[in-house]
Amino acid sequence: MDFELNMEQREIVKAAREFAEGEFDPQLAMELEKAHQFPFDIRKKACQLGFIGIHFPEEYGGQGYGIFENALIVEEFCRRDSGIGSAVVLSDFSSEIIMRFGSDAQKKAYLPKVASGEYISGGGYTEPDHGSDITFMNTTAVKDGDTYVINGSKTFITNGGIARFLIVLCQTDENASPTYRGQSTFIVPTDSEGFEAVEIEDKMGLRMTSTSEIYLNNVRVPAENLIGKYGRGFYQVLEFFDESRVEIAAQALGIAQGALDRAVAYIKERSQFGRKIAAFQVNQHKAADMATRVELARLIVYKAAWNYDKGRIDPVLTSMAKMTAGRTAVEVCDEAIQMHGGYGYIMENEVERFYRDAKITEIYEGTREIQKNTIASTLVGRFK
Amino acid sequence: MEKIAVWVEHRQNEIRDITFEMLGKAHQLVGDGGQVIALFLGDPSQKGLLDKITPHAHRTVAYLDSNLKDFEPLRYQAAFADIFEKVDCQLILMGQTAFGMDFAPAVAARWEIPFTTDIVDVEVDGGLIAVRQMYSGKVSAKVSLKEADKMLCTVRAGAFPAEDLPTVSGEVQEITGAVEGDFSARAFVEYLEAAVGDVDITQADVIVSVGRGIKDADNIPVAQELADALGGVVACSRPVADKKWLPKERQVGTSGKTVKPKVYIALGISGAFQHQAGMKNAGTIIAVNKDPKAPIFGIAHYGIVDDLFKVVPALTEKVKELRGWGNSDK
Amino acid sequence: MDIIVCIKRVPETAEADLVIDASKKAIDTDGLVFSINEWDNYAVEAAIQLKESVGGTITVISVGPEENNEVLRRALAMGADEALRLTDPAFEGSDAYAMAKILAAAVKDIPHDLILTGVQADDDGFGAVGVALAQMLGLPYAALVTDIQLDGETLTVHRELEGGLEEVDTLKLPALLTIQTGINEPRYVSIMGIRRVARKEIGVKGAGDLGLSEEAVGAKGSLSRIEELFFPPVGEGAEIIEGTMDEKTEALVKILKERGGIA
Repeated sequence: MDFELNMEQREIVKAAREFAEGEFDPQLAMELEKAHQFPFDIRKKACQLGFIGIHFPEEYGGQGYGIFENALIVEEFCRRDSGIGSAVVLSDFSSEIIMRFGSDAQKKAYLPKVASGEYISGGGYTEPDHGSDITFMNTTAVKDGDTYVINGSKTFITNGGIARFLIVLCQTDENASPTYRGQSTFIVPTDSEGFEAVEIEDKMGLRMTSTSEIYLNNVRVPAENLIGKYGRGFYQVLEFFDESRVEIAAQALGIAQGALDRAVAYIKERSQFGRKIAAFQVNQHKAADMATRVELARLIVYKAAWNYDKGRIDPVLTSMAKMTAGRTAVEVCDEAIQMHGGYGYIMENEVERFYRDAKITEIYEGTREIQKNTIASTLVGRFK
Repeated sequence: MEKIAVWVEHRQNEIRDITFEMLGKAHQLVGDGGQVIALFLGDPSQKGLLDKITPHAHRTVAYLDSNLKDFEPLRYQAAFADIFEKVDCQLILMGQTAFGMDFAPAVAARWEIPFTTDIVDVEVDGGLIAVRQMYSGKVSAKVSLKEADKMLCTVRAGAFPAEDLPTVSGEVQEITGAVEGDFSARAFVEYLEAAVGDVDITQADVIVSVGRGIKDADNIPVAQELADALGGVVACSRPVADKKWLPKERQVGTSGKTVKPKVYIALGISGAFQHQAGMKNAGTIIAVNKDPKAPIFGIAHYGIVDDLFKVVPALTEKVKELRGWGNSDK
Repeated sequence: MDIIVCIKRVPETAEADLVIDASKKAIDTDGLVFSINEWDNYAVEAAIQLKESVGGTITVISVGPEENNEVLRRALAMGADEALRLTDPAFEGSDAYAMAKILAAAVKDIPHDLILTGVQADDDGFGAVGVALAQMLGLPYAALVTDIQLDGETLTVHRELEGGLEEVDTLKLPALLTIQTGINEPRYVSIMGIRRVARKEIGVKGAGDLGLSEEAVGAKGSLSRIEELFFPPVGEGAEIIEGTMDEKTEALVKILKERGGIA
């Protein structure tokens, strides 16, 4: 066992930190947050420096590293700013489905453009009637000559309003048994006729990220936009979740560390009753507990990422990592606000924003409850 | 210490202030019976400048050569080599200035003269102990120099007051220089005056100055709004000008402008000595900084230890109220 | 054009609480984050920009322990071609003069048209190594450089003087320049850069390799020595205004009114 980052990984962390410190400005973050704007310029720079798509193969515009290195960048970016960090690191969301299951032509057509910053990607899995249950899709894709005709709707789609294309999970065979064996994934360009994205306004957090409802009304995509094998969509998406949950876990880890950083800085700076509040044992103990929680989360997130890069699919471990990191983020942010007192409760304060941005990590890519189901079903078997 | 030589620094036909500061300290160090020697290199046409020096040195060595009008290190070294043996002194002082930083280390290396740079104090007690700062002024260091016939220190501008310079009846030793050789490897071309901007910060009564703590160009308006409310102008410290968040002509400090407003408000400025040199004579200095140990608090009259992004908008609001500008009708 | 850049690894102290260690001659660096000296980072960028315009190679050199590989690798990832680390127990306690001797011994063996250093270092702030190095090598040099133009074998540089004034000088190559902050905008390290140099070896040389005797370097070969560190006296200092934000700003308004701060 080796708990140390290797030289390149340390350099990646440092490069990500320098970039985030140089570019993620707190005032700018507040303005973007208020205006519900995606940080396009920062993302473009991040892409030019190779931070986005670091885990894509070199021949497809990536840097050939694993999801571990990607997780390190996600952590550093979100640590510096929960809003800008989350928006930027999720701008390649779901491209991994093309990377893992797509044809060479699909990879060539899309991945380099995502990595270079030209394209933003997203994934359409969740449907209005059934959130975390993806075993049956109301969205259908029907073959018509050289094309597929897609109809249906999706909701809570990250990057829905700004993506160049989405990976959409569709029911291609409504009679398949079990139903999930009749699902396939497609690359759907967002400029397709019949495609409509309606922004979901006023979210609790993630306000720099676009989240949309998607309407697909007779959207035609070429048959070559089918990803991988017909009828394998469900399995592809499940496997992708194993990867994406690590990324979300790293996002949560970074947010937690960022909140801890700010809490520690604050108690060293703020005076009450004639001394720094860091001198009070209650605050020292809080900081100690928070730091311990963050370190525990880091251990399991790193392990999950490392394990994935070893080529092992382990939904139990990734679910544990996401659940742990998400809870840690919410609880550490909560305590950080508590330590800031009234100042932590106002919108000008970063910890307030971190708290709101942290909460989503317990919801999307499978709620905490879904993660528990995954873990429990392996532990004790599935009860019907 | 009996004999100390002070390098007379001049540029564009003016003696630079650092020269008098060093002369003052030299007199203090040599005490009664000691000798302060002024070393002057220049063009014969600049001889008039000596009138300001000779009353304050026991002896002035003036090396005059038509090739020495402007500073060029290779020529200066050649000239200094001519008189090095003739200057009988234990310590040479030069300024830690654009001149001294370009010249002193080379002189020290060439003649293996024990030296240290940027001193803010010096004691002579047996050996020589120089005091200089490290870590941007957060720590001071006592530095000793190896024993030798001659030693050299460069002196921080403003470290010693130039007031009450003793007047002595000094002799002048003129040497007609004969600097010869090919010095084209480094040649002086011209001076470039600072660009004149739309705002002349040296003329303002109120200056709101921003440092690294402003964090981004996008935040300059936070300071501008306060300056507008006060009827003042926005200036900055070096890091802000380096990052081009404000033009160079707004920079206060050694390499920028020296200002003397009635009120100077330093926002997020740590207060490196180079910055202090440019604003320490302001009537009232108010500093806002999150770091209670920031050196700026050592020179400010009033301080607030807090986030400038909390203090400044609140202050701006209050000033506007006072002026009856209420937020709504602006 | 072949360029050598001398870089230093220094602790970031701007926002840290410093502690003087038991020897009283150094600060306690435990818990401090180290990075490339700010001035040197501008020097590395200046070298890369020159290389991008006229071609050539860049070698970065740093004196210090294995940890210094960090800043060397960072410079490689930014765009330098070769890196050399100079290390030896005999180098301990070197002042600016001894440091210049070590660097002089190393650069003699490396082809160079131009040597760049930072004006000074964040930590000791001597501002002397670059110029002393030029003198030892017999190279023309300029300190406090804020602009570089290359025309054949001639450099035209701007030097930063006091009061916003600049000086224009010409230098003949080979030459040495000490680089002032603000001369350029140093680039970020890219992942491509890190990957490109991942397997790059960093050369290591000790006193013996450089033909330096133990007496010539380190404390023995130095002309000055730190005797004691202490915290500068705080002086009178500012009257710190305390209270709620409302009370603080109210007090400030009062001071501003009294002192002519509301023009």
